Amino acid sequence: MAASTTGPATGTNTSLSAGGHEPALAISGLHFRYGDRGFELKVPSFTLARGEEMLLVGRSGCGKSTLLQLIAGLVDPTSGVVKVAGQDMHALKGAARDRFRGRSVGMVFQTFNLLQGFSARENVLVALLMSDTPKGEWNARAEALLASLGIERVDAPAEELSVGQQQRVAVARALACRPALVLADEPTASLDPENAANAVHVLREACRAQGAALLVVSHDPSLEAHFARRERLDAVAATASASATTTTTATTTTTATTTTTAGATSIHEGADAR
Amino acid sequence: MSDLTIVLRSLRTRLFSTTVVVLLVAISAGLLLAILSLRSAGERAFERGTGNAHLLVSRDGSPLVSVLNGLFYANPPKAPLDQAKIAELRASFPWAMFVPTAVGDSYRSFPVVATVREFFTTFEPVLGEPWQFAEGRAFDKNFEIVIGDGVARETGLRLGAELVLTHGSGKSREGGEDGGGHAHVHEEYKYTVVGILRPTGSPHDRALFSDLESTWILHAFDRFERAGEHRTVTAADLTDEDRVVTGVLLRLPSRDPSSAPPALVSQYDRMRRDGSITVAIPSNEVQRLFSIVKSVDVLFLAMAAATLVSSAVAILLSMINSMAERRRQVAILRVLGASQARIFWLVLTESTIVGLVGAAAGVVVCAAVLFVATRWLLGAHGIVIAPELDARSAVLVAMGTTLLAAIAGIVPSVLAYRTTVARGLRPIG
Repeated sequence: MAASTTGPATGTNTSLSAGGHEPALAISGLHFRYGDRGFELKVPSFTLARGEEMLLVGRSGCGKSTLLQLIAGLVDPTSGVVKVAGQDMHALKGAARDRFRGRSVGMVFQTFNLLQGFSARENVLVALLMSDTPKGEWNARAEALLASLGIERVDAPAEELSVGQQQRVAVARALACRPALVLADEPTASLDPENAANAVHVLREACRAQGAALLVVSHDPSLEAHFARRERLDAVAATASASATTTTTATTTTTATTTTTAGATSIHEGADAR
Repeated sequence: MSDLTIVLRSLRTRLFSTTVVVLLVAISAGLLLAILSLRSAGERAFERGTGNAHLLVSRDGSPLVSVLNGLFYANPPKAPLDQAKIAELRASFPWAMFVPTAVGDSYRSFPVVATVREFFTTFEPVLGEPWQFAEGRAFDKNFEIVIGDGVARETGLRLGAELVLTHGSGKSREGGEDGGGHAHVHEEYKYTVVGILRPTGSPHDRALFSDLESTWILHAFDRFERAGEHRTVTAADLTDEDRVVTGVLLRLPSRDPSSAPPALVSQYDRMRRDGSITVAIPSNEVQRLFSIVKSVDVLFLAMAAATLVSSAVAILLSMINSMAERRRQVAILRVLGASQARIFWLVLTESTIVGLVGAAAGVVVCAAVLFVATRWLLGAHGIVIAPELDARSAVLVAMGTTLLAAIAGIVPSVLAYRTTVARGLRPIG
C-alpha cells in the first residue's frame, strides 16, 4: 500500500497517516476471477487518499465496472482486501456491509439510475433513509445539497428534469450520506463533450465540497485532461496473463493489473453479485 | 421518507396495473363478502318472517310449502281448509292464538291476506315485535284494507285511497294478467285504505290485509257471475263454499313468549296424524329450507373463494411482469445500502398493500352488490332482506385477502431478494 499520494485536485500533498486518517480506499492483493470464462482482475496495490480525485481509464469490458463493484462490496473478490475508510469491506457480511456501503460509498452511474416516480428531493432522501443518518437531518441536508448543485425544482419527478439536472441529482444522492468515497462509473458516457466536461466539473466540485475522494472510471480519454492523477486499467486480449501498464503520476505507487482471456465479455454478465 | 413511501411510489409508477389488480381483488373480496352477508341476512329475514306462530295449518303439499305460501306469500295456496275442519281445529286445544287467513287475491302483484282482526292484536309479524300502525287503524268493517309499509312506499297509496283487488297473484288492473292468464279484477267492490303499518323487515311489509268476509263476498260474487246471475252480493249470500280459509296461524299458551312451550311437540304430533291437513312449525321449516340450500350456498362460497385466489394469482403475475423495471429499482436501493432482507420485505409489503387496499375496496364493492341485490330481491321476488355487513366476516375476508396477497408476493420478493445488482444497473437499451 502506498505510504502517501498526491492530492492532484488541490495540488497539495496529502499524508495518509496525517491525523490518523485511513485512506478513502486501500486495495491490496485483490484478485477476482469469474467462472469458466476465464475473466480475471488483479489489483496488487491501490490507494486513494481522502479527498483525492482520480481517473481510471480503460477500454470497454476490461473490468472497470467490476473493480467498482468490488470496491463497493457488491461483488466478492476471489482474494484480497478492499478497505474503504479503513474498513475491510468484504469482512463485513450481509446487512452490515450494505449499511456500511450506504453511508461510506456514493455511486454515480452512466444512466444516473434515479428512482422513477420519485422527486429529486426523494431520490436524495432515499439514500439517507438507507443509511444511519439521523432523520432530523434528512430534509436540511437534501435541500442544501440540491441547492448547492443548482437544483431548484426539488419536488419535480426526476424523470421530468433535464439530463444535466438528473446528473446533478445523482451526484447529490451519492454525496447525501457524506461518504468517504464516491465511485463514478462512466458518468459522461451518455453526454456530448461539452456536457461531459460540465458533468465532470460538477462531480469534482461537489466531492471537493464534501471532502469525498472521487474515483472515476471511464473509457473516454477526453476526461484525462480534468484529472491530475490518471491510471489505465487495460485488458490485453488473447493473452492469458499479461500485465497492463498503468499510467501513474510521479508520486503514485499504485499498480493495477488486469488479466483476461480472449473473448471475455463484460463482467456484468457473470458477476456473482450479492 | 420511509420504506412505506418507497413501496407506495413503486405502486404509483405502475399505476395502471396496480389499479387493475386492486380492482380484481376488490371485486373478488366484495363478492365473497356479499355472499356471506346475503346469506346471513336472508336467514335472518326468513327467521323474522315466521313471527310468533308456533304452528301453521294448511292443505299445502308439504310443511315447507305451507310456510312459504302461508307466511312468505310465495304462491296462493291451492287447496282451502273447509269450515268444518276450521271448527274442529279451533275446538281441539285451548289455543292462545287462532288466526285464519286466506291468501289468493292481490293488488298490483302484492299479496292480499284476508284475515281477522286478531291478526293485528295477537299475531306478531316478528317475535316480540307486535304490529304498529304508522297511520290509521285496523279494519273494522267490510272492504276496509290495511297496507304494509313496502306497499305504501311502492304504490303511493295513502289513507282513504280506494283500490280494487285482482283474483290470483296476477298484476294489477293496470299491469294486465298474470302468467296463468286467469286474473280477474274485482271491479265491483272497492276497498278503502284505513291503515298503514310500520315496517317490520319481514315479507308482511309487502302485503295488504283485509277482512275475511270481504274476500268471501268477492268470491261469492264470482260464483253468481259464473251461474249467470249479475247481482249485488252481501254477507247473507255466503255459503260454506265461499268461506275459504287457506291457513291457520296457531300459538300455544306460553309463559315465556320467546321459547316454544313443552306442549308444542305433542300438539304437533297429534295434528300430523290428521292426513287431511298439513301442519308446520314455521321456525323449523325455515331451518330446513336453509339446510336444503346449504350445498348450493357452499358452492357459491367456493366459487367466490376461487375468484379471490385467482386475484392473488393476478397480483403474482403483475409483480412478475414488472420484474424488469423492479430489478433496476432493487439494484439502486441495494447500492444505496438496502439489505437483501429489506428488499424482500419492501416487495412483500407492496403485494400485501395491494391485498389490503383491494380488501378495503372490496367492502365498497360489497355494499354496492348488496344494494343492487336487495333491490332486485325485493322487486323480483318480494323477499325483504336487510343485509348488514357483518364485521366479523369483513375482518376475516380482509385478513384472508391480505394474507393471500402476501403469499402471492413471496415469489416476486424472493426474485427481488436474489436480484443481481450489476445486472440491474445495466444501462437500459
